[in-house]
Amino acid sequence: MVYDISQLTKVYGNRTVLDIPLLEIEKGSIYALLGPNGAGKTTLLNILGFLEPPTTGNIFYRLHPVKFSESYLQPLRKVVVMVGQHPILFTTTVYKNIEFGLKIRQIPKKERDLIIEESLDLVGMRHFAQAPAHRLSGGETQRVAIARALAVNPEVLLCDEPTSSVDAENQVAIINILRQINGIKKITIVFTTHDRFQVTSLSHHILFLDHGKLATDTGENFFTANRFSERGLLGPTRSHS
Amino acid sequence: MDLLVDSLLSALLLVASMDPEMVAIVAVSLKVSGISTVFASLMGVPFGFLVAFESFPGKRMLITCLNTLLALPTVVIGLFVYAFISRRGIFGPLDLLYTQKAMVIGQTILILPIIATFTIAAISKIDDRYRKTAMTLGANRVQTALVVFREARFGIVAAIIVAFGRVIAEVGISMMLGGNARGFTRTMTTAMALEYDKGQFTLAVALGIILMGLSFGINLLFHFFQGRTRV
Repeated sequence: MVYDISQLTKVYGNRTVLDIPLLEIEKGSIYALLGPNGAGKTTLLNILGFLEPPTTGNIFYRLHPVKFSESYLQPLRKVVVMVGQHPILFTTTVYKNIEFGLKIRQIPKKERDLIIEESLDLVGMRHFAQAPAHRLSGGETQRVAIARALAVNPEVLLCDEPTSSVDAENQVAIINILRQINGIKKITIVFTTHDRFQVTSLSHHILFLDHGKLATDTGENFFTANRFSERGLLGPTRSHS
Repeated sequence: MDLLVDSLLSALLLVASMDPEMVAIVAVSLKVSGISTVFASLMGVPFGFLVAFESFPGKRMLITCLNTLLALPTVVIGLFVYAFISRRGIFGPLDLLYTQKAMVIGQTILILPIIATFTIAAISKIDDRYRKTAMTLGANRVQTALVVFREARFGIVAAIIVAFGRVIAEVGISMMLGGNARGFTRTMTTAMALEYDKGQFTLAVALGIILMGLSFGINLLFHFFQGRTRV
């Protein structure tokens, strides 16, 4: 088990954006996080990525309780990496973007070079290594952002709508990359999406969020829920909601 | 009209001949303004960065105060510093009045708020995704701050250029704290004021041409760096 979460809430002002009694995320699986806009998907990803604390609740990461203090979170962020919906690349070369996380981990230069080449190969962007990162297209940016995240060899990769702002060709490429890294490196992946095709083709488990709550099997208001149930695609985590 | 044309032609000849007195005045201006800009940058950039990057009570009030200081007249700064460094001031024994050091102190005070506020603006404009990206890649607080600083680098350089442009063109502080001593504290602006008083326009116009040329160069640099912030 990677995450074991209980009684999690996130409140902004007087609005509860997340209210999750129980959520477990298994190691090496791909989770699709579905839900309408404003359902709390990105907030949940931010909490899973240790980028913002929950208001209440307990989070265990690999059986260790998570304390939301900066000194405690930084090592966790080295193993859980998030790629945003509109990822931003540092205004330098693609190479240096990917090198950033490796330098932080004090990986020697020779090893860094190899990892960078490998990561760029994985996303089909090797010939862009010396290109200025801010000149890339949306799809290329997304792929480099994934390469940057993969280079640091995370245990968990969180992707917020990884294909929402890219063309069809890049969508297929990104889905294939995610499938490949999960298959080869056994990286746990949690991604948000509105695309039901992606859900069926990529994920092992499906999580539905609606108004901050994980939907139950009866799937109130989720017509997709029944379809996924019929196809046997609903993961075990749904029973925890 | 003849006066202007004659002065302009004589001034151009003076510039072309690299008149030693004129060169000395320009050198004093560049030296004093350069040192002031370095000191103000060393203090203003980190201060502005911290104000922009950190959250603390009274932050908005502090920024409002800094913005108010942008409009501080040079003569007010001149008076203020004079009160400290004149013979009767607490720093009187240091004998700073009518020295280049006094001018540097006054000019540093003048441009410190400019550099700080422009740095705050440059940092505040940086997309928050840079901070979040650095954090999710495992950066600690200092490494994250450095990422934000790096992304704001062109805006910060632009702040320093604006400050230099302001300080090299000021006259009040140089006159009140420097005393316009020939070959020592005479700057382009104080020399121009003196030549005007004497009714001799040639050197004044020549210095004016150089000052305008410098201002043009500074503005070109500013627009270059400002343009780079939009890449």
